[in-house]
Amino acid sequence: MNENLFASFITPTILGLPAAVLIILFPPLLIPTSKYLINNRLITTQQWLIKLTSKQMMTMHNTKGRTWSLMLVSLIIFIATTNLLGLLPHSFTPTTQLSMNLAMAIPLWAGAVIMGFRSKIKNALAHFLPQGTPTPLIPMLVIIETISLLIQPMALAVRLTANITAGHLLMHLIGSATLAMSTINLPSTLIIFTTLILLTILEIAVALIQAYVFTLLVSLYLHDNT
Amino acid sequence: MLSRVVLSAAATAAPSLKNAAFLGPGVLQATRTFHTGQPHLVPVPPLPEYGGKVRYGLIPEEFFQFLYPKTGPYVLGTGLILYALSKEIYVISAETFTALSVLGVMVYGIKKYGPFVADFADKLNEQKLAQLEEAKQASIQHIQNAIDTEKSQQALVQKRHYLFDVQRNNIAMALEVTYRERLYRVYKEVKNRLDYHISVQNMMRRKEQEHMINWVEKHVVQSISTQQEKETIAKCIADLKLLAKKAQAQPVM
Repeated sequence: MNENLFASFITPTILGLPAAVLIILFPPLLIPTSKYLINNRLITTQQWLIKLTSKQMMTMHNTKGRTWSLMLVSLIIFIATTNLLGLLPHSFTPTTQLSMNLAMAIPLWAGAVIMGFRSKIKNALAHFLPQGTPTPLIPMLVIIETISLLIQPMALAVRLTANITAGHLLMHLIGSATLAMSTINLPSTLIIFTTLILLTILEIAVALIQAYVFTLLVSLYLHDNT
Repeated sequence: MLSRVVLSAAATAAPSLKNAAFLGPGVLQATRTFHTGQPHLVPVPPLPEYGGKVRYGLIPEEFFQFLYPKTGPYVLGTGLILYALSKEIYVISAETFTALSVLGVMVYGIKKYGPFVADFADKLNEQKLAQLEEAKQASIQHIQNAIDTEKSQQALVQKRHYLFDVQRNNIAMALEVTYRERLYRVYKEVKNRLDYHISVQNMMRRKEQEHMINWVEKHVVQSISTQQEKETIAKCIADLKLLAKKAQAQPVM
C-alpha cells in the first residue's frame, strides 16, 4: 500500500538487496538481437527505428564525432525505454532518481568538453565569448559563459529528473483525485478521468521527448567540441 | 509470453556462456574454451514462421489448453481477481486509475495502429527479399543472355560459308570486269592505229585526185585558144535562142 505520494520513487529493494540494478538492466531484454536477415515484426520495426534515429542524429557530426554514435544511440534507446516502462502501473523508473541522471550526464558532458579542450583548444576557448560583443562587456560575458558551460551537466540531469518525476507525480495526484471523487460524484469522476487519459498521452510524449532532448544536447556538446 | 522468451534465451545463452568473457581474467586464463569445435553456421534450426498464439496479448494459448480439462480458465481468472479485490490483496488506490488510463491508451493504440505497423514491418522484410531476389534474377538473366549470345554465335559460324561464297563471287566478278575493260582498251587502241593508216591513205588519194584534176584543168585551159573561145560562145548563144523559141512555143499548143 502506498503510504504517501513519493512512495513510488523509493529505490526498490528486495530484502535489503537493491533490485534497482535488475530494473535498470531489464529494458535490453525487450530489444532482441538477431543473426538473420529476415526477422519477425518486432525485430524488424526496432531495427528500422534504430536505423532511422541513428542516421538522423549522426549526420551532423564529422568522423571524430561519429565515434560516439554507439554511445548516443544506446543512450536514447535506454532513456526512451526506461521512461516508457515507467508509465506502467506500480513500476519504478530509474530516471526519476537524480543520482542516475547525474551519473549519465556528467561523464558525457565532461568527455565532450575535455575532448574539445585537448584537441582544439582555441576553438574551445572561443566558445566563451560570443561574436560581436562591445569591449566593456567582455569580462562579465566571459564569466556568464563560463557559468553557462559549467551548468550544462546539472541542467541535463535535473531537466530529465524533474520532467519525469513531475509527470509521474501528476498522474498519481489526478489518480487519487478520481479515486476520491468516485465515491462522491460520478460525472465529475468521468471528467477527471478524461483528464487522466489526456495526461497519459502527454506522458508518453514526454517520455520520448525527454530521451530525445537529452541525447540531442549531448550530441550538440559533442559537435561543438569535435 | 515472457516465459517463452526467457526459456529460449536461456537455451541459446547457456551453451555460449561457456565462451563468455566476463568471468574475470583469472578464470578466463584457467578455463579457456574458445573455438574448440566447428562454428555452427550451417545447421541452424529454421525460424518458425509465426509466433506462438496468445490470448489478450499476454497469456499464451497453451495455458488455456492446459487448464481446459481441469477447470474453466475464465472462471478461474474471475475468481482470482475477485478474491484479490475482496481480501484487499490488490488495493484500489490512485495507482489503479493511472493503470486503467495507461492500459486503456495502450490497448487503443495497439488496436488502431497494430495492423499498420505489422504491414509496415512485413513490407520492410519483403523489400529486403525483393532486393535479393532481384539480384539473383539479374544474375540469372545475365547468364541466360550470355548463353543465347553464344548459341547465336555458334549458329552464325555454321552459316559462314555463305559469306565466303559471296566474297568469292564478288572477286570473280571484279576480275572479269577488269579483264573486259582491258580487252576493250586494247581493241580501241588497235582500232585507233588502223584508223590512222586508213585516214592517211584517204588523204593521199584525195590529194592525188585534186592534183590530177588541177593539172588536167590547167592543160585544158591552156589548150583553149581565143579564136576557139569566141566561136564556142557564139554557137552557145545561137543554141540558146533556138531553145528559147522552142520553149515559148510549147504552152501555146
